[in-house]
Amino acid sequence: MLEVKNLEAGYGKVPILRDINLIAPAGEVTLVLGPNGAGKSTLLRTLAGFNKPTVGTVMANGRNITGLAPEKMVANGLRLILDGHRVFPRLTVRENIRLGTRGDAAETEKHLKEIYEVFPILHEKLDHRASSLSGGQQQMLALAQAFVARPEILLVDEPSLGIAEMLIPTILDFLRRWTRLGTAVLLVEQRIDIALRYADSVYVLRGGEIILNGPAAELADGDAIERLYMDG
Amino acid sequence: MSQNSQLASADRSPVQGLRLPSMVWIGILAIAASILVPGALGNQYWSYTFTLVTLYIIVAVMQNMLVSEAGQMSFGQGAIFGIAAVTTAVMIGLHGQPFWFSAIGGLIAGLVLGGLFAAPALRVQGYYLGFVTLSAALVFPQLLIALDSITGGVNGVPAFVMSLSTPLYGTITPLSLLAILAMAAALIFHGILPHTVLGRRMIIVSNSPEAAQALGIHPGTIRSIAFLIAAFGTAVAGVLYVPLVGFVGPTAFRVDFSIFFFLAVIVGGQGKLLGPLIGVWLLYLVPNVLLADFSHYRLLIYGAVALVVMLAFPDGVVGTVSSFIAARRGGASKVAISLNDAFDHDGKDVQADDRAEPNGAVLISVQEARKSFGNAVALGGASLTVKEGTIHGLVGPNGSGKTSMLNTISGFMTLDSGTVKLFGRVVTGLAPWRRTRMGLGRTFQTPRIFDRLSIWENVQIGREGYGRGGDAGRSSKLEVFAAKWRDQDPSLLPHGQRRLLEILRVMESDAPLILLDEPAGGLSTEERTELSRLLVHFRDRLGKTILLVEHDLSMVWNVADEITVMETGTIAASGLPENIKSNPKVRALFTGGRDA
Amino acid sequence: MSIDELALILVRGLGQGAIYALIGMSFNIVVNSSGILNFANGTLMILAGVLAFLFLPATPGFVGWALVALAIVAFLFVFVLLQGVLTLFPLKSSVEQHSWLITTMAVSVIVSACIHLYGGSLAFRVPPLLPPVSVFGLSTPSAYFLLIGLAAFWFVMIGWFHKNTRAGLAMSAVAQDLDAGKAAGIPVRRIQLYAFGISGLVLGTTGFVGAPVINISAETGIGYLLSGFTALVIGGLGSNLGAVVGGSLVGVLSMFAAYRFGGIYQDTVTMGLLIAVLMFRPEGIFGLAASRKV
Repeated sequence: MLEVKNLEAGYGKVPILRDINLIAPAGEVTLVLGPNGAGKSTLLRTLAGFNKPTVGTVMANGRNITGLAPEKMVANGLRLILDGHRVFPRLTVRENIRLGTRGDAAETEKHLKEIYEVFPILHEKLDHRASSLSGGQQQMLALAQAFVARPEILLVDEPSLGIAEMLIPTILDFLRRWTRLGTAVLLVEQRIDIALRYADSVYVLRGGEIILNGPAAELADGDAIERLYMDG
Repeated sequence: MSQNSQLASADRSPVQGLRLPSMVWIGILAIAASILVPGALGNQYWSYTFTLVTLYIIVAVMQNMLVSEAGQMSFGQGAIFGIAAVTTAVMIGLHGQPFWFSAIGGLIAGLVLGGLFAAPALRVQGYYLGFVTLSAALVFPQLLIALDSITGGVNGVPAFVMSLSTPLYGTITPLSLLAILAMAAALIFHGILPHTVLGRRMIIVSNSPEAAQALGIHPGTIRSIAFLIAAFGTAVAGVLYVPLVGFVGPTAFRVDFSIFFFLAVIVGGQGKLLGPLIGVWLLYLVPNVLLADFSHYRLLIYGAVALVVMLAFPDGVVGTVSSFIAARRGGASKVAISLNDAFDHDGKDVQADDRAEPNGAVLISVQEARKSFGNAVALGGASLTVKEGTIHGLVGPNGSGKTSMLNTISGFMTLDSGTVKLFGRVVTGLAPWRRTRMGLGRTFQTPRIFDRLSIWENVQIGREGYGRGGDAGRSSKLEVFAAKWRDQDPSLLPHGQRRLLEILRVMESDAPLILLDEPAGGLSTEERTELSRLLVHFRDRLGKTILLVEHDLSMVWNVADEITVMETGTIAASGLPENIKSNPKVRALFTGGRDA
Repeated sequence: MSIDELALILVRGLGQGAIYALIGMSFNIVVNSSGILNFANGTLMILAGVLAFLFLPATPGFVGWALVALAIVAFLFVFVLLQGVLTLFPLKSSVEQHSWLITTMAVSVIVSACIHLYGGSLAFRVPPLLPPVSVFGLSTPSAYFLLIGLAAFWFVMIGWFHKNTRAGLAMSAVAQDLDAGKAAGIPVRRIQLYAFGISGLVLGTTGFVGAPVINISAETGIGYLLSGFTALVIGGLGSNLGAVVGGSLVGVLSMFAAYRFGGIYQDTVTMGLLIAVLMFRPEGIFGLAASRKV
């Protein structure tokens, strides 16, 4: 479980986030919605240790991980998947996945099997360079790389961005399935209704503040949120 | 000295409210005393040593200017010093020319070598120039030996100038006075520089070459000028070295001589006026004079001191001391600039019917712009037209190509195919700074505010940048605030005010066409409202044309006359705000694609 | 110019070029993982040569030669690793992100000052391991061939390391996308230190193997540094293939200049080449450089 209390953060002199409080429980998808520039990516980057919060605490399963460096976050079981299906383009698919693996070889083998089952295309293209994959396939690869690391908390930044429409359900479905392992998934999305279908609870971010939150079921029609986006 | 004449030619507007920093006077007094006191007491050794050290300080002051204002690394200043000295000595000693004539020869030689550094500076910067200058420092003594028929080779050249070496009083010679004078000129120059157009341009170029281009400045030219000025000052010191030492040989100017000046500036504190003085005294006097027996360890001491200083006091000796004093004095108070300052001081508010009728001329026209990076398509045949006197909103999800479009228009990105017209002229392929000079202004997502300049100077550089705006006579709407803002430090401004400052700068540039890149990012609700008013004021009262890239849709709906929506590098829709807002495709784009 | 002369220039030029290529590769390893150009590379290679002079027995057998080699290379590994700690340390807190320019330059000055304290300006002569080889009837020092072999060895080894070890993969990953690397949990600082260490291995082997033909003295390090950098500027910063191609070119051209105009003009020719390339093709002649943020 990820717990964020009174978080404030920004870049240098630019304040972005103000007084963020949120909880992402284990085994659930927690969705963060918000228009462009609302601070969603900044929120995830701050939680993953890329910039230090000026105020507030971040707890991962009871451990205080506020302000740790990104690699320490990973060691503490928190993993961020950046937006824009970022993989290492000049490494092969196999090498990209290998960078995620850690520890026990037999365990890893099991995870690999699972991932190839969900995304058979990755198995087919194991020795292709990641740069030769389509956007959607790169996103699958990024997910696979994080999956084999078995984080307790997974942060995903706009997985639908720049990938083919028909692949979006596959990818969100996979995140849903992932929570059954007890993983807390914090998902940032712009696409309201698609993402809502896969979420348990929702936070809406605007101008760096949380302006609305509640169970996904209550906000399911998405109209209220849409008005918040478009009309301010 | 002649530095001042260069200064005057570079600075088209008079230096306003010129006050020399007190550090300049302290430095000049300290140097003068270091030469004159032993001189008056008749101590030959100390007056000689301190005169030599003073010449080195001149070189270090120039090096300091290069490093701190121009942001350029040079490891080759010793070679420029050397070539000036050798040329002067050869003309005096081997060809019997008078000193003044030989001195001119030495200065020219120094400038020519400086030009060799300046030429690559037109194209590249930073450590590339570090390597170029280092190689010059390496090659120079080798060439002195190789070209022995001209230079006297390993034996060197003796050269005496009796008129300069005859004592006036004690062991004070005309040369001592010349050295003090040259040193004072160098220090005064460095003290004034940041308050001149040229100095501000150097600071802009070294902090942000893109911002420089957006202000109509060609970064390479400014870097080259900095190298040439440094070469001139260094050559003056090199010329004076000849009558002082009376002999010039190749062993004096090895690579470590050049590196010495660089390390002295770092140890003293880069950017600090007195840094070179302290640095040279520390690095030269300590090993050479106080530890005379240890002169073998000289190089080792240079290196070790520089390393320790960099690790323990990255700001150098003077920098560390002055920030300690500043910390003791306590922090400065917050400053603020008000939006009202910017446009309401004439007492009138904007009336809707004030608005000049736009004549419909097309100021920006992008046709079928295409650009890809490898597999990624940034622009896939996007076209955009912006009419004079309008605010044109450019919106779209992340990665839809808004920034690419902006960079295409301002010239920071070159297209694979397609054309760009500004003010009816085809500008495809034209450098950004040239487009700025046509009358195109822009702001950046992260405001480019220069903390080394005052708030007023940050506004002023807009006026100085845009080609035709260089005339000092043009009155500024903001002139009334000059006195108030002149001494204020922009680093104390909150973020929203930094954005505003950048927008005021563009306004001051008088550019009729302005590109704003997410100006509302990081602003509070009140600040956004104020910004909207300011944009409308720009359009209606100042007749500006604005292309507004912005995430805050509600702001765009309110101020834009026309809106273009981008999606994955192409234009999804374009038209009047009310049509765009009700376009289901556009709504889907921003909120989640239930209709897509 | 006769065929013999041409062969002489080519063989010796390629041998010298191998030194430049190796220095170029040691630049690349560090620059790719951290954006830092180690100004001490030339002097560090010379240091390995000085150590070879100090510790090689007068008539080394193969075993003695190998043991000394091992010790020197290990020393260089540790030394450059420590240099990495010193260089990376100020980057952590300081806003001055170019401190590396000064710290690496200072280390170069310190090392060459120490060499100078020991041997003055004199050149150190190191006996060759193998007898000279005859090429077109001209006796050519065997070290040139060993150097060419060493350059090939490191070119392949570094490539293998990047492909087949976890640290190597992480190093390439960090070079390709720093943020994604951090997000994947790669300990970036440690990887950058490894890079320094490996560059020490390359420099140590180069200085030792090349010792009989390298001009070893307190003042020659910077010349090699500049030739290695020029090789990279020609071939494209960050590319090892570029280092090999650029190094060979610089080696042959400067050897030609030395043959034609005298050895004293070797560095001048290299400088001319550097300035010309920066003026007209700053991205490198062969365009091998990947666009990267340095």
